[in-house]
Amino acid sequence: MTTISLKGIHKNFGTTQVVKDLHLEIANQEFLVLLGPSGCGKTTTMRMIAGLEQPTHGEIAFDGQRVNEIPTQKRDVAMVFQNYGLYPHMSVERNIGYPLKLRGVSEAEMAQAVAQAAQRVELTPYLKRLPRELSGGQRQRVALARSIVRKPSIFLMDEPLSNLDAKLRVAMRAEIKHLAHEMKVTTVYVTHDQVEAMTLAHRIALMRDGEIQQLAIPSVIYNDPANTFVAGFIGNPAMNLLACTVDSNEIKTICGIAPQKNMPAPKSGSLILGIRAEDAQLCDEGQAHLMAEVFTCELLGNESMVSFKLAGQLLTIKADKSVQHNFGERIGIRLPADKLYWFDADNGQRIRP
Amino acid sequence: MTQTLQSPLISGYRTPAIEYATGWVRQLLVFVLICTIALPIFWIAITAFKIPREVYTLDHALIFTPTLDNFRILFEHPWNLHLKLLNSALVAITTVAIAIPFALMAAYSFSRFDFPFKRSLFLLIIVSQFIPGAVVVLPYFLMFKEIGLLDTRTALILINLSIVMPYAVWMIKGFIDAVPIEIEESAKVDGASALRVIWQIVVPAALPGVITAAVFSFTLTWNEFLFALILSKQDALTLPIGLIGFRTERGDLWELMAATGILITVPMFLISLAVQKQFIQSLTAGSVR
Repeated sequence: MTTISLKGIHKNFGTTQVVKDLHLEIANQEFLVLLGPSGCGKTTTMRMIAGLEQPTHGEIAFDGQRVNEIPTQKRDVAMVFQNYGLYPHMSVERNIGYPLKLRGVSEAEMAQAVAQAAQRVELTPYLKRLPRELSGGQRQRVALARSIVRKPSIFLMDEPLSNLDAKLRVAMRAEIKHLAHEMKVTTVYVTHDQVEAMTLAHRIALMRDGEIQQLAIPSVIYNDPANTFVAGFIGNPAMNLLACTVDSNEIKTICGIAPQKNMPAPKSGSLILGIRAEDAQLCDEGQAHLMAEVFTCELLGNESMVSFKLAGQLLTIKADKSVQHNFGERIGIRLPADKLYWFDADNGQRIRP
Repeated sequence: MTQTLQSPLISGYRTPAIEYATGWVRQLLVFVLICTIALPIFWIAITAFKIPREVYTLDHALIFTPTLDNFRILFEHPWNLHLKLLNSALVAITTVAIAIPFALMAAYSFSRFDFPFKRSLFLLIIVSQFIPGAVVVLPYFLMFKEIGLLDTRTALILINLSIVMPYAVWMIKGFIDAVPIEIEESAKVDGASALRVIWQIVVPAALPGVITAAVFSFTLTWNEFLFALILSKQDALTLPIGLIGFRTERGDLWELMAATGILITVPMFLISLAVQKQFIQSLTAGSVR
């Protein structure tokens, strides 16, 4: 039962600033996901929590107690690594039991705890095998079992699913979510996969270039993005972001094309208009804000994706699976005013009307 | 697609007759090679069990009555080979026992830590082996004479350490480099101290390297000739030096040389047999990504 607080954390590798003035409070039993593209500092942040890296400046505290000087071994954290970090010369049983062995737990207790942990992740038939004799998913479960066997104060997971195939990833994601719910342990989970973040997190910290861009619950991250980076990172497909020019609070051009109808905007100047693929609509010319030629039409099974290229910028609209359009077909696009997001073209920050 | 992609195997296609002929030539070459390597060993092996008269005649080249007399004579006066055997064993075992733990620590440092002049230092260790032994044997002789270590096993152990350490560090480092750092970090997170991480995680994972280095160091030391010849006189003589003792005024005692050759070879043979299984085991254990 632990809270984690990161206060003014900086991390430099040589002259490269990897994490910049990071402030983060993680509540007891919270499942926090650090999300972001490669090199955004999310893994470094997690490694600092684990004690595998030292912050250049700033304080890390567990339950209000500064832990900067406490070595990894004594922080009582468990970590699941991207490449599992299993001990190749130890059987599954010994891998899982190793943290207990280090704590001087008796053989009998250890055997019982290992059996329980193995059962929890359905590894019981594989206890005598070596890691190399297991599949990727099984290895991942060994890593999970090893981290739960000693009931740590904090769980750290560094892209634990990224080496698994798509199907297995979905199954393991559900297992991790269930496990975290059962164990009631504060968890920090690093991923670059927005679906993992959306499905697992209580809160998401979306990072870029060593800074948190937005820290919020998944629905807020999705529905109320703080800037163009968040809007463009979250969602599949990502939010459509179209450059506009606005004069006297009226849109003059969207990607250089004058709209068919009057469209109000919150502010004059250069803005970026955002709209989710599911919010934009295909329509007749009469109702359309824009007319454009179909770039591609892709049937995904349960829905279709219709894309347009507006002055080099792609605009994607989710449509019914029955929708079919030919390349180059000219059709209308409706952008409902209540579904629009506005961003400053200079700094990408959200403009709220 | 106008161009048909042709398999390189098809372009190099050979008729069954050519295939058959090249197969035979290849086997013949392999046979010649094996003979070149194995015949001298075979000759020594049979000579060791011959009486002197049979050594020099072709009549008894392959057909003779084997005797263990040579091995008995070796351990009697004036040859006293057991003393040389003891010296060889003590020098080799002590050298390996000291070299491997230290090499392991050095290799780990070179592999995992960053420190000033790391690359240059490592290069220096390797380069030190390019200096021919004959160049430094005289300074060593004078040095050991000065400190009273001439004709002692300690001197040989020190010399052999200087020979095997660089190789051992270099070999073990290669294997430690291949152990993913994540395994170590994982052990740290699990609660293992730095020493435990090395001893319980890194060493077992790099075991093939450690074994290879140990066997190689033992072989180098066991067979070392030049320094043992110059730096020992009577008390610290080793088996390879024992060999030249059989060049006497009465001529070369081939049967005794052969028997000594067997004594020198057998331990190495047994070690490689013993280690082979474990070596392959640890090699296939590999690391897990």
